[in-house]
Amino acid sequence: MVKKMILTVGALLLLFPAMAFADAPSTAMLNTGLNSLWVMLAAILVILMQGGFILLEAGSTRMKNAGHVAGKTIFTFGLGSLIYWAVGYGIAFGENGNLLYGLGKFFYNPPVLYSEDAGLSDSVFFIFQLAFATISLSIAWGGFAERAKLSSYLIFTIVFVGVIYPMVAHWIWGGGWLAEDGAQDFAGSTVVHLSGAAAALAATILLKPRIGKFNKDGSSNQILGHNQVYTTLAVLFLWVGWFGFNAGSTVAIETGFFGYVAFNTQIAAAAGAVAAMLISWAFLGKSDITTMLNGGLAGLVAITASCAFVEPWAAVVIGLLAGVLVFFSQKFFEKMKIDDPIFALSVHGAAGVWGTLANGLFATPELAETAGVGKAGLFYGGGLEQLWVQFLSVVVCGLFVFIVSFAVLYVIKKAAGFRVTEEQEIIGLDLSEHGAYGYPEQMKKAQQNLNA
Amino acid sequence: MNDPVLVQLLLQISAAELTAALRRLRDAAHSRMDALFPSLPLDEYYRQLNGVHDALIRRAVALAEAELARSGTGSPPVPYAYLLFGSGGRKEQTLSSDQDSGIIYENAETEEKELAAGNYFAHLSEKAVALLQEIGYPPCEGNVISANPQWCLPESRWKQQLEGWFETADWESVRYLLIVADCRHVYGSEELFTRLKKHFYSDMLARPVIVQRMLDNTIRHKMLIGVFGQLLKEQYGEDAGSIDIKYGAYIPMVNAVRLMAVQSQLRPTSTLERLNALVQAEVVTQEEAAAYSEAFLFFLKLRMIATENNKDGMYMNNGKLANHHLTKEMIEELKQSLKVGKRLQRQVQKLTLGRLKK
Repeated sequence: MVKKMILTVGALLLLFPAMAFADAPSTAMLNTGLNSLWVMLAAILVILMQGGFILLEAGSTRMKNAGHVAGKTIFTFGLGSLIYWAVGYGIAFGENGNLLYGLGKFFYNPPVLYSEDAGLSDSVFFIFQLAFATISLSIAWGGFAERAKLSSYLIFTIVFVGVIYPMVAHWIWGGGWLAEDGAQDFAGSTVVHLSGAAAALAATILLKPRIGKFNKDGSSNQILGHNQVYTTLAVLFLWVGWFGFNAGSTVAIETGFFGYVAFNTQIAAAAGAVAAMLISWAFLGKSDITTMLNGGLAGLVAITASCAFVEPWAAVVIGLLAGVLVFFSQKFFEKMKIDDPIFALSVHGAAGVWGTLANGLFATPELAETAGVGKAGLFYGGGLEQLWVQFLSVVVCGLFVFIVSFAVLYVIKKAAGFRVTEEQEIIGLDLSEHGAYGYPEQMKKAQQNLNA
Repeated sequence: MNDPVLVQLLLQISAAELTAALRRLRDAAHSRMDALFPSLPLDEYYRQLNGVHDALIRRAVALAEAELARSGTGSPPVPYAYLLFGSGGRKEQTLSSDQDSGIIYENAETEEKELAAGNYFAHLSEKAVALLQEIGYPPCEGNVISANPQWCLPESRWKQQLEGWFETADWESVRYLLIVADCRHVYGSEELFTRLKKHFYSDMLARPVIVQRMLDNTIRHKMLIGVFGQLLKEQYGEDAGSIDIKYGAYIPMVNAVRLMAVQSQLRPTSTLERLNALVQAEVVTQEEAAAYSEAFLFFLKLRMIATENNKDGMYMNNGKLANHHLTKEMIEELKQSLKVGKRLQRQVQKLTLGRLKK
């Protein structure tokens, strides 16, 4: 033991003087390195959110579709990555563009090492942005669940990650026309969440509700997901991942601003979960777990735009209202007979809109200056100006994604077919699209009962 | 003050010789009751309707007895009583209530005779249940029915069973004890029934702890009104938008009033009679009882309106009231009544816990 220690200490002593002769890295170099490390970590967290979506979607749907619902996420994540590398990134962040779209950086080939004063590694920034694009894609799948053909996932991935999402990202983050106007969307309530939800809305309208969701008299049936524990774990996955999503979006650690962003994120999410639980309890007489989970997510979605622009009390208000909003939004879509199996429209759509608008109300002048985007909101003496900009960005981005997605999916519907046949839907997409069930034993039993 | 048409029907029921005739008479009585529904005061309506049900059941049991005699199984070896539980016991049957019944018979002198008696009453209950089914009374889903050996016993075994339930005092036993509290004699020896009830209350007195368990069971069903004073309706499925009058309004009140009555050793079984008795016993004030009765009568009325499905010739009802049956005024009254019901639940809780502390 003693011998070992002496050896170690000796080795270290030999090393240290040697290091003193090497060139010390400059502060800028260290800074870039630390930023890159932080954003890389954040990117990993955001990519892990795909795990959250796998569990969320699979848990919220039925056993017969579980393998398909879970597996297709990895497939589209893979395909989406290739498309984003080839095309999407260039449209979002290419340097030779205009206010509408970027050009350049197609089939992106980043520098191997970062330059001293880059501020952030280019390849890390790419991975971080790619993670965002594919999260938006996974949100859109909420509208496809349990009845869309696998081929439609393939085609839509190409269009969504290649063009639709990158355009919106360019407008708000890539120096596009909404960025010029000062639209505040720190980590993507609009860019990521509303875009995903608008695509989901287009899909679910074109697909029509799942078999058995609505009755002839207009009432709806509850198609319960097969595993509420998955759904709950999914929310925790997403919640944790969201620290990468929001706090990572500072893309720097210099002043430690990411800590404040993380702080706002946490209390808003907490408020969302609590508010949704209480509101469902008060209105239904029984507290609804699914609503509570959606409330937590809605709090996260809403604070995504505003986490860098508002004070803590406002973060709590934004989260609380998001939790309440998600409950009524779920009811609203059900009333409208729009089937929303994963609640993407309410969680990412309604809360995304609310979070983006909230900036126009609660953004403080100091924080707007720190973030370097836009102005103060209505409650901080900014008047209606910022609120108008926020409103505009919501309407324009929401409509753009909805219309283009609708058009693309409509073409798919007419040309190749969008929805599986009734028989396939009844036996489950695991079997119809992949040939094997995700839960073989259970489904075999169900089949036997069906035949008996 | 019975309706002359009904009096005539009751006479015909008690003279009917065939189940088919009883079924026809029941249908006739139903249409008569339908016609009377708008004009009769509701308590009077229920009194008359339950008179009809009692007559039908009485006659069906008598016919079952006669048929056993005809088929060579013989006549009752010992005196017995046909008992009603549930809504029948409380004289609160609607046009579509199911059978909740039991049989108690006198102890036989020898073991051999007891075996024979058991055999006879097993046959009798089976026959009676089958006949009643033909007349349109579906069997009880909870299997509280005379054809179930647990509810068809000699007096000694009934007493043992009661003691066992008081002893165990688990959730299921307590449920059974509360069912027995609503027990009423409809046919046969009234004396046997009276002795059973007496035994129930003496056991009850010996174990005040049971009341705590009864309270848990009693307030299990919540009044369907939310914190904002809104109605808590069905959210999904074919009954979406309707309100579960049976389990969200009627049963919670029945339960609460029953528990108060049982604690005060009051024998009436109908909820309205129990409320009157509670006033006499000075457990609730005249005003409280009036408010409770009014709310309860409103629930009874809505229960009559609630959807009726005629399934396989059975008169059925799932106790859920569809939205389109409710006018604006009725919704308002329903909300007020539910609030009264909630107050009653609180009062029972306070009363019971207060007594336990003493």
